[in-house]
Amino acid sequence: MSEVRKPRDPLTGHVKALAKGFKYLVEPNRMTLDYPAETMKLPPNYRGFFTVDDKKCIGCSMCEMVCPPEAITMVPRIIGEGGKTIPAPEGEKEVKGPKRTKRPVVNWGKCIFCYFCVDVCPVDAFIPTQVHDLAFEKDSEYRPSYEDYLKPPEEPYKNSKKVISKADLKRGVSYEPAP
Amino acid sequence: MSEKVYNIDDLQNINVEGEKYIILQIGPSHPGSGHMRLKVWLDGDIIVKVDPDIGFVHRTSEWLSERREWIKAVPIVERIMLPDTVHANLAYVLTVEKLLGIEPPPRAQYLRSLVAEINRITSHLYGIGIFGIFLGSSTVYMWAFGDREPFIDLMEMLTGARITTSYIIPGGVRWDLPNGFKERAETVLQYMERRLKDYEDIWVKNPVVQARTINVGTLKKEDAIRLGVVGPNLRASGVYYDTRKHHPYAAYSNLDFEVPTMKNGDSYDRLLIRVEEIKQSIKLIRQILKDIPEGKIIADQIYNQLNPVMKKNYEEKKRVMFPAFMIHMRPPAGEASAKVEAGRGEIFFYIKSTGDKYPYRFRWVTPSFRNLPYFTHVTVGHRLADLPTIYGSIDYFPPEADR
Repeated sequence: MSEVRKPRDPLTGHVKALAKGFKYLVEPNRMTLDYPAETMKLPPNYRGFFTVDDKKCIGCSMCEMVCPPEAITMVPRIIGEGGKTIPAPEGEKEVKGPKRTKRPVVNWGKCIFCYFCVDVCPVDAFIPTQVHDLAFEKDSEYRPSYEDYLKPPEEPYKNSKKVISKADLKRGVSYEPAP
Repeated sequence: MSEKVYNIDDLQNINVEGEKYIILQIGPSHPGSGHMRLKVWLDGDIIVKVDPDIGFVHRTSEWLSERREWIKAVPIVERIMLPDTVHANLAYVLTVEKLLGIEPPPRAQYLRSLVAEINRITSHLYGIGIFGIFLGSSTVYMWAFGDREPFIDLMEMLTGARITTSYIIPGGVRWDLPNGFKERAETVLQYMERRLKDYEDIWVKNPVVQARTINVGTLKKEDAIRLGVVGPNLRASGVYYDTRKHHPYAAYSNLDFEVPTMKNGDSYDRLLIRVEEIKQSIKLIRQILKDIPEGKIIADQIYNQLNPVMKKNYEEKKRVMFPAFMIHMRPPAGEASAKVEAGRGEIFFYIKSTGDKYPYRFRWVTPSFRNLPYFTHVTVGHRLADLPTIYGSIDYFPPEADR
Protein backbone atom coordinates (compact mmCIF):
# COMPACT_ATOMS: atom_id res chain seq x y z
CA MET A 1 0.00 0.00 0.00
CA SER A 2 3.05 2.28 0.03
CA GLU A 3 2.21 3.76 -3.37
CA VAL A 4 -1.19 4.85 -2.05
CA ARG A 5 0.39 6.68 0.83
CA LYS A 6 3.17 8.43 -1.05
CA PRO A 7 2.84 12.19 -0.46
CA ARG A 8 1.98 14.07 -3.58
CA ASP A 9 4.26 16.87 -4.71
CA PRO A 10 2.63 19.99 -3.17
CA LEU A 11 2.39 21.96 -6.41
CA THR A 12 0.76 19.11 -8.36
CA GLY A 13 -1.47 18.36 -5.41
CA HIS A 14 -2.79 21.89 -5.04
CA VAL A 15 -3.24 22.31 -8.78
CA LYS A 16 -5.14 19.02 -9.08
CA ALA A 17 -7.38 19.83 -6.11
CA LEU A 18 -8.13 23.32 -7.44
CA ALA A 19 -8.75 21.98 -10.93
CA LYS A 20 -11.20 19.40 -9.60
CA GLY A 21 -12.92 22.06 -7.50
CA PHE A 22 -13.20 24.33 -10.51
CA LYS A 23 -14.63 21.50 -12.59
CA TYR A 24 -17.40 20.97 -10.07
CA LEU A 25 -17.95 24.73 -9.77
CA VAL A 26 -18.70 24.92 -13.48
CA GLU A 27 -20.51 21.60 -13.67
CA PRO A 28 -22.01 20.87 -10.26
CA ASN A 29 -23.05 17.38 -9.23
CA ARG A 30 -26.39 18.29 -7.70
CA MET A 31 -28.80 15.61 -6.57
CA THR A 32 -31.24 17.98 -4.89
CA LEU A 33 -34.96 17.21 -4.80
CA ASP A 34 -36.99 20.41 -4.98
CA TYR A 35 -39.29 19.45 -2.10
CA PRO A 36 -42.23 20.18 -1.80
CA ALA A 37 -42.61 21.30 -5.43
CA GLU A 38 -41.46 17.80 -6.31
CA THR A 39 -42.23 14.78 -4.16
CA MET A 40 -40.99 11.25 -4.45
CA LYS A 41 -43.01 8.25 -5.47
CA LEU A 42 -41.51 5.69 -3.15
CA PRO A 43 -40.91 1.97 -3.77
CA PRO A 44 -43.92 -0.28 -3.03
CA ASN A 45 -42.34 -1.80 0.05
CA TYR A 46 -41.55 1.59 1.62
CA ARG A 47 -42.75 1.70 5.20
CA GLY A 48 -45.03 4.69 5.65
CA PHE A 49 -48.20 5.47 7.61
CA PHE A 50 -50.67 2.61 7.63
CA THR A 51 -54.25 1.98 8.53
CA VAL A 52 -56.30 -1.11 9.24
CA ASP A 53 -59.06 -2.82 7.30
CA ASP A 54 -61.95 -2.97 9.78
CA LYS A 55 -63.62 -5.81 7.87
CA LYS A 56 -60.54 -8.03 7.81
CA CYS A 57 -59.30 -7.47 11.37
CA ILE A 58 -60.17 -10.26 13.80
CA GLY A 59 -59.07 -8.44 16.96
CA CYS A 60 -56.41 -10.97 17.94
CA SER A 61 -54.02 -8.39 19.52
CA MET A 62 -50.90 -9.87 17.89
CA CYS A 63 -49.92 -6.43 16.58
CA GLU A 64 -50.17 -4.99 20.07
CA MET A 65 -47.97 -7.78 21.42
CA VAL A 66 -45.21 -7.43 18.80
CA CYS A 67 -45.02 -3.60 18.76
CA PRO A 68 -41.49 -2.69 19.99
CA PRO A 69 -42.29 0.86 21.22
CA GLU A 70 -45.74 -0.22 22.49
CA ALA A 71 -47.44 2.28 20.22
CA ILE A 72 -50.46 0.11 19.47
CA THR A 73 -53.43 -0.02 21.85
CA MET A 74 -56.41 -2.26 21.37
CA VAL A 75 -59.69 -0.38 21.77
CA PRO A 76 -62.95 -2.20 22.59
CA ARG A 77 -65.48 -2.31 19.77
CA ILE A 78 -68.89 -3.82 19.30
CA ILE A 79 -69.54 -5.11 15.81
CA GLY A 80 -72.75 -6.27 14.18
CA GLU A 81 -75.07 -4.00 16.20
CA GLY A 82 -78.73 -4.76 16.81
CA GLY A 83 -78.56 -8.28 15.47
CA LYS A 84 -78.22 -6.97 11.94
CA THR A 85 -75.94 -8.77 9.54
CA ILE A 86 -73.01 -6.66 8.49
CA PRO A 87 -71.66 -7.22 5.00
CA ALA A 88 -68.42 -9.14 4.94
CA PRO A 89 -65.80 -9.37 2.18
CA GLU A 90 -66.33 -12.04 -0.40
CA GLY A 91 -65.58 -15.56 0.67
CA GLU A 92 -65.61 -14.74 4.39
CA LYS A 93 -68.13 -15.45 7.13
CA GLU A 94 -70.78 -12.86 7.87
CA VAL A 95 -70.94 -11.55 11.41
CA LYS A 96 -74.38 -11.69 13.01
CA GLY A 97 -75.54 -9.96 16.13
CA PRO A 98 -73.61 -7.72 18.49
CA LYS A 99 -70.18 -9.06 19.31
CA ARG A 100 -67.47 -7.64 21.54
CA THR A 101 -64.09 -7.38 19.94
CA LYS A 102 -60.99 -5.20 19.82
CA ARG A 103 -59.33 -3.11 17.17
CA PRO A 104 -55.81 -1.60 17.01
CA VAL A 105 -55.07 2.13 17.13
CA VAL A 106 -51.55 3.45 16.54
CA ASN A 107 -50.06 6.31 18.50
CA TRP A 108 -48.05 8.07 15.80
CA GLY A 109 -45.92 9.83 18.38
CA LYS A 110 -44.47 6.47 19.39
CA CYS A 111 -44.54 4.49 16.14
CA ILE A 112 -41.10 3.72 14.65
CA PHE A 113 -42.40 2.27 11.33
CA CYS A 114 -40.69 -1.08 11.74
CA TYR A 115 -43.80 -2.79 10.29
CA PHE A 116 -43.56 -5.73 12.69
CA CYS A 117 -47.32 -5.33 13.26
CA VAL A 118 -48.08 -5.31 9.54
CA ASP A 119 -46.02 -8.48 9.10
CA VAL A 120 -47.32 -10.35 12.14
CA CYS A 121 -51.01 -9.88 11.26
CA PRO A 122 -52.40 -13.39 10.56
CA VAL A 123 -55.08 -12.05 8.18
CA ASP A 124 -52.94 -9.30 6.58
CA ALA A 125 -55.47 -6.67 7.70
CA PHE A 126 -53.17 -3.64 7.73
CA ILE A 127 -53.16 -1.38 4.69
CA PRO A 128 -49.68 0.06 4.20
CA THR A 129 -49.15 3.33 2.33
CA GLN A 130 -46.03 5.18 1.23
CA VAL A 131 -47.10 8.44 2.89
CA HIS A 132 -44.29 9.45 5.21
CA ASP A 133 -44.30 13.22 5.53
CA LEU A 134 -47.34 14.04 7.65
CA ALA A 135 -47.15 16.76 10.26
CA PHE A 136 -49.44 17.01 13.28
CA GLU A 137 -50.66 20.26 14.75
CA LYS A 138 -52.41 19.00 17.85
CA ASP A 139 -51.47 16.40 20.41
CA SER A 140 -54.79 14.63 19.79
CA GLU A 141 -53.82 14.06 16.17
CA TYR A 142 -50.87 11.97 17.27
CA ARG A 143 -53.21 9.69 19.15
CA PRO A 144 -56.18 9.30 16.83
CA SER A 145 -59.47 7.78 17.85
CA TYR A 146 -60.33 4.51 16.12
CA GLU A 147 -62.65 6.31 13.66
CA ASP A 148 -59.90 8.77 12.72
CA TYR A 149 -57.36 6.00 12.49
CA LEU A 150 -59.47 4.15 9.92
CA LYS A 151 -59.26 7.06 7.47
CA PRO A 152 -56.42 6.49 5.02
CA PRO A 153 -53.58 8.97 5.59
CA GLU A 154 -53.84 11.95 3.28
CA GLU A 155 -50.79 12.79 1.31
CA PRO A 156 -49.60 16.38 1.79
CA TYR A 157 -48.65 18.42 -1.29
CA LYS A 158 -51.06 16.61 -3.57
CA ASN A 159 -50.44 19.01 -6.44
CA SER A 160 -46.69 18.56 -6.40
CA LYS A 161 -44.85 16.99 -9.27
CA LYS A 162 -44.36 13.25 -8.68
CA VAL A 163 -40.86 11.99 -9.37
CA ILE A 164 -39.04 8.71 -8.95
CA SER A 165 -35.40 8.48 -8.02
CA LYS A 166 -33.11 6.76 -10.46
CA ALA A 167 -29.48 5.74 -10.24
CA ASP A 168 -27.46 8.00 -12.50
CA LEU A 169 -23.93 7.40 -13.70
CA LYS A 170 -23.12 11.09 -13.70
CA ARG A 171 -24.99 12.45 -10.71
CA GLY A 172 -25.51 9.44 -8.45
CA VAL A 173 -29.22 10.06 -8.05
CA SER A 174 -31.44 11.76 -10.59
CA TYR A 175 -35.17 12.33 -10.53
CA GLU A 176 -37.49 11.79 -13.42
CA PRO A 177 -41.30 12.15 -13.69
CA ALA A 178 -43.14 9.16 -12.29
CA PRO A 179 -44.89 6.99 -14.87
CA MET B 1 4.25 16.74 18.70
CA SER B 2 5.86 18.57 21.60
CA GLU B 3 9.46 17.90 22.54
CA LYS B 4 8.62 17.47 26.21
CA VAL B 5 7.81 13.88 27.06
CA TYR B 6 4.67 13.32 29.05
CA ASN B 7 4.28 10.01 30.79
CA ILE B 8 0.64 9.07 30.69
CA ASP B 9 0.77 7.08 33.93
CA ASP B 10 1.97 10.08 35.96
CA LEU B 11 -0.83 12.20 34.63
CA GLN B 12 -3.79 10.02 35.44
CA ASN B 13 -4.30 11.61 38.86
CA ILE B 14 -4.22 15.27 37.87
CA ASN B 15 -6.71 17.18 39.94
CA VAL B 16 -5.17 20.60 40.43
CA GLU B 17 -7.52 22.88 38.60
CA GLY B 18 -6.44 26.26 37.32
CA GLU B 19 -2.90 25.96 38.65
CA LYS B 20 -0.59 24.42 36.14
CA TYR B 21 -2.93 23.05 33.53
CA ILE B 22 -5.93 24.53 31.82
CA ILE B 23 -8.96 22.30 31.81
CA LEU B 24 -11.00 22.58 28.64
CA GLN B 25 -14.45 21.09 28.25
CA ILE B 26 -15.26 20.00 24.73
CA GLY B 27 -18.97 19.43 24.32
CA PRO B 28 -21.42 18.62 25.80
CA SER B 29 -23.89 19.28 23.01
CA HIS B 30 -22.87 17.73 19.75
CA PRO B 31 -19.28 18.92 19.24
CA GLY B 32 -18.74 16.31 16.55
CA SER B 33 -20.51 13.15 15.58
CA GLY B 34 -22.90 13.07 18.53
CA HIS B 35 -23.56 14.34 22.03
CA MET B 36 -20.45 13.76 24.06
CA ARG B 37 -18.03 15.39 26.45
CA LEU B 38 -14.26 15.46 26.37
CA LYS B 39 -12.33 16.89 29.29
CA VAL B 40 -8.92 18.07 28.11
CA TRP B 41 -5.98 19.12 30.30
CA LEU B 42 -3.67 21.54 28.50
CA ASP B 43 -0.16 22.74 29.13
CA GLY B 44 -0.14 25.86 26.96
CA ASP B 45 -1.73 24.31 23.92
CA ILE B 46 -0.15 20.89 24.40
CA ILE B 47 -2.56 18.16 25.44
CA VAL B 48 -1.41 16.37 28.58
CA LYS B 49 -4.53 14.35 29.27
CA VAL B 50 -7.90 13.67 27.69
CA ASP B 51 -10.78 12.14 29.58
CA PRO B 52 -13.69 11.02 27.42
CA ASP B 53 -16.75 11.04 29.65
CA ILE B 54 -17.88 7.43 29.26
CA GLY B 55 -21.59 7.00 29.90
CA PHE B 56 -22.49 10.60 29.07
CA VAL B 57 -25.15 9.52 26.56
CA HIS B 58 -25.88 6.12 28.08
CA ARG B 59 -29.25 4.91 26.81
CA THR B 60 -29.74 1.63 28.68
CA SER B 61 -30.07 -0.51 25.56
CA GLU B 62 -29.12 -3.63 27.53
CA TRP B 63 -31.62 -2.98 30.31
CA LEU B 64 -34.39 -2.23 27.82
CA SER B 65 -33.70 -5.39 25.85
CA GLU B 66 -33.77 -7.59 28.94
CA ARG B 67 -37.32 -6.50 29.66
CA ARG B 68 -38.85 -7.11 26.25
CA GLU B 69 -39.66 -10.03 23.98
CA TRP B 70 -36.68 -11.20 21.95
CA ILE B 71 -37.78 -9.71 18.64
CA LYS B 72 -38.24 -6.24 20.17
CA ALA B 73 -34.50 -5.83 20.71
CA VAL B 74 -33.94 -5.52 16.94
CA PRO B 75 -35.08 -1.87 16.67
CA ILE B 76 -33.32 -1.03 19.95
CA VAL B 77 -29.86 -2.17 18.87
CA GLU B 78 -30.33 -0.44 15.53
CA ARG B 79 -31.02 2.89 17.13
CA ILE B 80 -27.77 2.77 19.08
CA MET B 81 -25.63 2.40 15.95
CA LEU B 82 -27.44 4.68 13.56
CA PRO B 83 -24.89 4.87 10.72
CA ASP B 84 -24.37 1.12 11.02
CA THR B 85 -27.82 -0.32 11.65
CA VAL B 86 -27.56 -3.46 9.57
CA HIS B 87 -24.51 -4.74 11.40
CA ALA B 88 -26.06 -4.27 14.83
CA ASN B 89 -29.19 -6.02 13.62
CA LEU B 90 -27.14 -8.84 12.07
CA ALA B 91 -24.99 -9.39 15.17
CA TYR B 92 -28.03 -9.65 17.43
CA VAL B 93 -29.88 -11.99 15.10
CA LEU B 94 -26.82 -14.25 14.69
CA THR B 95 -26.67 -14.63 18.48
CA VAL B 96 -30.37 -15.46 18.73
CA GLU B 97 -30.06 -17.94 15.88
CA LYS B 98 -27.27 -19.73 17.71
CA LEU B 99 -29.55 -20.08 20.73
CA LEU B 100 -32.48 -21.25 18.61
CA GLY B 101 -30.38 -23.55 16.44
CA ILE B 102 -31.73 -22.12 13.18
CA GLU B 103 -29.58 -21.91 10.07
CA PRO B 104 -30.78 -19.45 7.40
CA PRO B 105 -30.82 -20.64 3.76
CA PRO B 106 -27.96 -19.61 1.39
CA ARG B 107 -29.92 -16.92 -0.43
CA ALA B 108 -30.73 -15.21 2.88
CA GLN B 109 -27.02 -15.40 3.81
CA TYR B 110 -26.06 -13.64 0.59
CA LEU B 111 -28.75 -10.99 1.06
CA ARG B 112 -27.43 -10.34 4.56
CA SER B 113 -23.91 -9.85 3.24
CA LEU B 114 -25.24 -7.64 0.45
CA VAL B 115 -27.07 -5.23 2.71
CA ALA B 116 -24.18 -5.29 5.21
CA GLU B 117 -21.71 -4.22 2.51
CA ILE B 118 -24.01 -1.44 1.27
CA ASN B 119 -24.24 -0.30 4.86
CA ARG B 120 -20.46 -0.47 5.28
CA ILE B 121 -20.00 1.94 2.36
CA THR B 122 -22.52 4.41 3.82
CA SER B 123 -20.85 4.11 7.20
CA HIS B 124 -17.37 4.79 5.79
CA LEU B 125 -18.67 7.73 3.74
CA TYR B 126 -20.22 9.08 6.92
CA GLY B 127 -16.85 8.74 8.65
CA ILE B 128 -14.97 10.41 5.79
CA GLY B 129 -17.49 13.26 5.73
CA ILE B 130 -17.19 13.87 9.47
CA PHE B 131 -13.40 13.76 9.19
CA GLY B 132 -13.69 16.37 6.42
CA ILE B 133 -15.71 18.83 8.45
CA PHE B 134 -13.35 18.34 11.41
CA LEU B 135 -10.45 19.46 9.25
CA GLY B 136 -12.54 22.39 8.01
CA SER B 137 -13.34 21.06 4.56
CA SER B 138 -17.07 21.42 4.12
CA THR B 139 -16.62 20.31 0.49
CA VAL B 140 -15.81 16.72 1.33
CA TYR B 141 -18.46 16.73 4.04
CA MET B 142 -21.13 17.61 1.48
CA TRP B 143 -19.69 15.21 -1.09
CA ALA B 144 -19.56 12.23 1.24
CA PHE B 145 -23.01 12.81 2.67
CA GLY B 146 -24.39 13.30 -0.81
CA ASP B 147 -22.77 10.12 -2.08
CA ARG B 148 -24.34 8.14 0.74
CA GLU B 149 -27.67 8.90 -0.90
CA PRO B 150 -27.46 6.46 -3.88
CA PHE B 151 -26.52 3.68 -1.44
CA ILE B 152 -29.26 4.61 1.01
CA ASP B 153 -31.67 4.54 -1.94
CA LEU B 154 -30.51 0.99 -2.64
CA MET B 155 -31.17 0.06 0.96
CA GLU B 156 -34.58 1.70 0.77
CA MET B 157 -35.41 -0.25 -2.39
CA LEU B 158 -34.44 -3.54 -0.78
CA THR B 159 -35.63 -3.12 2.81
CA GLY B 160 -38.33 -0.43 2.78
CA ALA B 161 -36.51 2.02 5.04
CA ARG B 162 -33.56 4.33 4.59
CA ILE B 163 -31.56 3.82 7.77
CA THR B 164 -33.43 1.81 10.42
CA THR B 165 -34.05 -1.16 8.18
CA SER B 166 -34.95 -3.96 10.69
CA TYR B 167 -34.31 -6.15 7.67
CA ILE B 168 -32.73 -9.21 9.27
CA ILE B 169 -34.91 -11.49 11.40
CA PRO B 170 -34.15 -14.84 13.04
CA GLY B 171 -34.19 -17.41 10.24
CA GLY B 172 -33.62 -15.13 7.27
CA VAL B 173 -34.52 -11.73 5.88
CA ARG B 174 -37.81 -9.91 5.34
CA TRP B 175 -37.76 -9.07 1.63
CA ASP B 176 -36.28 -10.63 -1.47
CA LEU B 177 -34.35 -8.68 -4.12
CA PRO B 178 -36.78 -6.38 -5.97
CA ASN B 179 -36.88 -6.24 -9.76
CA GLY B 180 -34.27 -3.99 -11.29
CA PHE B 181 -32.07 -3.99 -8.19
CA LYS B 182 -29.03 -5.50 -9.88
CA GLU B 183 -28.97 -2.95 -12.72
CA ARG B 184 -29.44 -0.07 -10.33
CA ALA B 185 -26.73 -1.35 -8.01
CA GLU B 186 -24.30 -1.68 -10.91
CA THR B 187 -24.91 1.94 -11.95
CA VAL B 188 -24.39 3.15 -8.38
CA LEU B 189 -21.16 1.16 -8.04
CA GLN B 190 -19.77 2.58 -11.29
CA TYR B 191 -20.70 6.07 -10.13
CA MET B 192 -18.92 5.52 -6.82
CA GLU B 193 -15.78 4.18 -8.49
CA ARG B 194 -15.58 7.31 -10.59
CA ARG B 195 -16.23 9.51 -7.57
CA LEU B 196 -13.47 7.85 -5.58
CA LYS B 197 -10.99 9.20 -8.13
CA ASP B 198 -12.41 12.68 -7.56
CA TYR B 199 -12.12 12.21 -3.80
CA GLU B 200 -8.48 11.35 -4.31
CA ASP B 201 -7.74 14.65 -6.06
CA ILE B 202 -9.74 16.96 -3.88
CA TRP B 203 -9.30 15.33 -0.50
CA VAL B 204 -7.23 12.19 -0.01
CA LYS B 205 -4.10 13.37 -1.85
CA ASN B 206 -4.64 17.04 -1.12
CA PRO B 207 -1.38 18.44 0.32
CA VAL B 208 -3.32 20.28 3.03
CA VAL B 209 -4.86 17.04 4.25
CA GLN B 210 -1.55 15.23 4.10
CA ALA B 211 0.15 18.01 6.07
CA ARG B 212 -2.49 17.87 8.77
CA THR B 213 -2.80 14.10 9.12
CA ILE B 214 0.57 12.46 8.42
CA ASN B 215 2.29 11.51 11.70
CA VAL B 216 -0.60 12.86 13.73
CA GLY B 217 -2.08 10.46 16.27
CA THR B 218 0.18 7.52 15.52
CA LEU B 219 -0.65 4.23 17.21
CA LYS B 220 2.01 1.55 16.78
CA LYS B 221 1.08 -2.04 15.94
CA GLU B 222 2.03 -3.39 19.38
CA ASP B 223 0.09 -0.67 21.17
CA ALA B 224 -2.94 -1.22 18.97
CA ILE B 225 -2.99 -4.89 19.95
CA ARG B 226 -2.36 -4.10 23.62
CA LEU B 227 -5.14 -1.51 23.82
CA GLY B 228 -7.59 -3.72 21.98
CA VAL B 229 -8.72 -1.27 19.30
CA VAL B 230 -10.80 -2.77 16.49
CA GLY B 231 -11.81 -2.45 12.90
CA PRO B 232 -10.29 -0.15 10.28
CA ASN B 233 -8.29 1.62 12.99
CA LEU B 234 -6.61 -1.63 13.98
CA ARG B 235 -5.85 -2.49 10.35
CA ALA B 236 -4.43 1.01 9.82
CA SER B 237 -1.84 0.13 12.46
CA GLY B 238 -0.82 -2.90 10.40
CA VAL B 239 -2.67 -5.74 12.12
CA TYR B 240 -4.19 -8.22 9.68
CA TYR B 241 -7.46 -8.97 11.41
CA ASP B 242 -10.97 -8.85 10.04
CA THR B 243 -13.88 -10.76 11.56
CA ARG B 244 -15.28 -11.38 8.09
CA LYS B 245 -12.08 -13.26 7.21
CA HIS B 246 -11.13 -14.88 10.49
CA HIS B 247 -14.56 -15.80 11.89
CA PRO B 248 -16.78 -15.80 8.78
CA TYR B 249 -20.51 -15.28 9.15
CA ALA B 250 -23.32 -14.76 6.61
CA ALA B 251 -21.91 -15.50 3.13
CA TYR B 252 -18.36 -14.25 3.67
CA SER B 253 -16.78 -17.70 3.67
CA ASN B 254 -17.85 -18.06 0.01
CA LEU B 255 -16.70 -14.62 -1.06
CA ASP B 256 -13.33 -13.54 -2.25
CA PHE B 257 -12.04 -10.25 -0.88
CA GLU B 258 -8.89 -8.70 0.49
CA VAL B 259 -8.32 -7.18 3.89
CA PRO B 260 -6.36 -3.98 3.30
CA THR B 261 -3.80 -3.06 5.94
CA MET B 262 -1.53 -0.04 6.37
CA LYS B 263 1.80 0.32 8.15
CA ASN B 264 2.08 3.59 10.01
CA GLY B 265 -1.11 3.81 12.03
CA ASP B 266 -1.43 7.59 11.84
CA SER B 267 -4.50 9.64 11.01
CA TYR B 268 -3.69 9.58 7.30
CA ASP B 269 -3.57 5.78 7.27
CA ARG B 270 -6.90 5.65 9.02
CA LEU B 271 -8.35 7.79 6.24
CA LEU B 272 -6.75 5.69 3.49
CA ILE B 273 -7.95 2.41 4.96
CA ARG B 274 -11.57 3.58 4.74
CA VAL B 275 -11.15 4.48 1.08
CA GLU B 276 -9.57 1.07 0.42
CA GLU B 277 -12.40 -0.70 2.25
CA ILE B 278 -15.00 1.09 0.14
CA LYS B 279 -13.23 -0.35 -2.91
CA GLN B 280 -13.34 -3.84 -1.39
CA SER B 281 -17.04 -3.45 -0.55
CA ILE B 282 -17.77 -2.44 -4.15
CA LYS B 283 -15.99 -5.60 -5.27
CA LEU B 284 -17.97 -7.67 -2.76
CA ILE B 285 -21.36 -6.26 -3.83
CA ARG B 286 -20.61 -7.11 -7.48
CA GLN B 287 -19.60 -10.60 -6.47
CA ILE B 288 -22.70 -11.16 -4.32
CA LEU B 289 -25.06 -9.98 -7.05
CA LYS B 290 -23.34 -12.29 -9.52
CA ASP B 291 -23.18 -15.39 -7.30
CA ILE B 292 -26.41 -15.09 -5.34
CA PRO B 293 -28.14 -18.49 -5.37
CA GLU B 294 -31.85 -19.03 -5.96
CA GLY B 295 -34.05 -20.42 -3.23
CA LYS B 296 -35.89 -19.52 -0.08
CA ILE B 297 -35.04 -16.44 1.96
CA ILE B 298 -36.33 -17.85 5.23
CA ALA B 299 -35.44 -21.02 7.11
CA ASP B 300 -37.85 -23.95 6.88
CA GLN B 301 -38.53 -23.88 10.63
CA ILE B 302 -40.05 -20.40 10.23
CA TYR B 303 -41.61 -20.98 6.81
CA ASN B 304 -43.56 -24.02 7.99
CA GLN B 305 -45.24 -21.94 10.66
CA LEU B 306 -46.64 -19.38 8.22
CA ASN B 307 -50.40 -19.55 7.72
CA PRO B 308 -51.94 -19.75 4.19
CA VAL B 309 -52.40 -15.95 3.93
CA MET B 310 -48.73 -15.42 4.78
CA LYS B 311 -47.58 -18.17 2.42
CA LYS B 312 -49.56 -16.54 -0.38
CA ASN B 313 -47.86 -13.23 0.38
CA TYR B 314 -44.49 -14.95 0.36
CA GLU B 315 -45.08 -16.52 -3.06
CA GLU B 316 -46.57 -13.39 -4.68
CA LYS B 317 -44.71 -10.47 -3.14
CA LYS B 318 -41.53 -12.21 -1.95
CA ARG B 319 -42.31 -10.84 1.48
CA VAL B 320 -41.75 -12.79 4.68
CA MET B 321 -44.43 -12.23 7.29
CA PHE B 322 -43.98 -13.16 10.95
CA PRO B 323 -45.55 -16.28 12.41
CA ALA B 324 -46.70 -16.02 16.04
CA PHE B 325 -43.38 -17.69 16.90
CA MET B 326 -41.68 -14.30 16.47
CA ILE B 327 -43.58 -12.92 19.48
CA HIS B 328 -43.58 -16.03 21.63
CA MET B 329 -40.01 -17.05 20.86
CA ARG B 330 -38.38 -18.73 23.87
CA PRO B 331 -34.87 -19.85 22.96
CA PRO B 332 -33.72 -22.83 25.02
CA ALA B 333 -31.65 -22.09 28.11
CA GLY B 334 -28.01 -21.46 27.35
CA GLU B 335 -25.46 -18.90 26.33
CA ALA B 336 -24.43 -17.66 22.91
CA SER B 337 -22.12 -15.06 21.49
CA ALA B 338 -21.49 -13.68 18.03
CA LYS B 339 -19.07 -11.32 16.37
CA VAL B 340 -19.69 -9.12 13.36
CA GLU B 341 -17.35 -6.75 11.54
CA ALA B 342 -19.26 -3.47 11.44
CA GLY B 343 -18.15 -0.33 9.64
CA ARG B 344 -16.27 0.93 12.69
CA GLY B 345 -15.01 -2.42 13.90
CA GLU B 346 -16.08 -5.55 15.66
CA ILE B 347 -19.40 -5.84 17.48
CA PHE B 348 -19.50 -8.51 20.14
CA PHE B 349 -22.76 -9.93 21.48
CA TYR B 350 -23.29 -12.16 24.49
CA ILE B 351 -26.76 -13.30 25.44
CA LYS B 352 -27.84 -15.68 28.17
CA SER B 353 -31.22 -17.31 27.94
CA THR B 354 -33.08 -19.11 30.69
CA GLY B 355 -35.77 -20.33 28.32
CA ASP B 356 -37.95 -17.36 29.24
CA LYS B 357 -39.71 -14.94 26.93
CA TYR B 358 -37.15 -12.23 27.73
CA PRO B 359 -33.35 -12.52 27.50
CA TYR B 360 -31.84 -13.11 30.94
CA ARG B 361 -28.61 -11.27 30.24
CA PHE B 362 -28.07 -9.05 27.22
CA ARG B 363 -24.55 -7.77 26.77
CA TRP B 364 -22.94 -6.16 23.79
CA VAL B 365 -19.73 -4.28 23.11
CA THR B 366 -19.67 -1.79 20.29
CA PRO B 367 -16.62 -0.83 18.21
CA SER B 368 -16.59 2.86 19.19
CA PHE B 369 -16.28 1.88 22.83
CA ARG B 370 -13.24 -0.23 22.05
CA ASN B 371 -11.70 2.64 20.08
CA LEU B 372 -11.86 4.98 23.09
CA PRO B 373 -8.16 4.40 24.03
CA TYR B 374 -7.31 6.68 21.10
CA PHE B 375 -8.47 9.65 23.15
CA THR B 376 -6.52 8.77 26.26
CA HIS B 377 -3.32 7.38 24.73
CA VAL B 378 -2.81 8.87 21.28
CA THR B 379 -3.65 12.51 21.87
CA VAL B 380 -1.09 13.10 24.64
CA GLY B 381 1.69 15.44 23.51
CA HIS B 382 -0.18 16.77 20.49
CA ARG B 383 -1.35 20.32 20.11
CA LEU B 384 -5.02 21.06 20.77
CA ALA B 385 -5.52 21.80 17.06
CA ASP B 386 -4.69 18.16 16.33
CA LEU B 387 -7.46 16.83 18.56
CA PRO B 388 -10.18 17.22 15.88
CA THR B 389 -7.90 15.42 13.43
CA ILE B 390 -7.52 12.45 15.75
CA TYR B 391 -11.19 12.44 16.70
CA GLY B 392 -12.25 12.60 13.06
CA SER B 393 -9.81 9.95 11.93
CA ILE B 394 -10.98 7.27 14.38
CA ASP B 395 -14.59 7.65 13.16
CA TYR B 396 -15.90 7.84 16.72
CA PHE B 397 -19.66 7.75 17.25
CA PRO B 398 -20.49 8.64 20.89
CA PRO B 399 -24.03 7.16 21.22
CA GLU B 400 -22.64 3.88 19.96
CA ALA B 401 -19.81 3.88 22.50
CA ASP B 402 -22.13 4.51 25.44
CA ARG B 403 -24.93 2.21 24.25
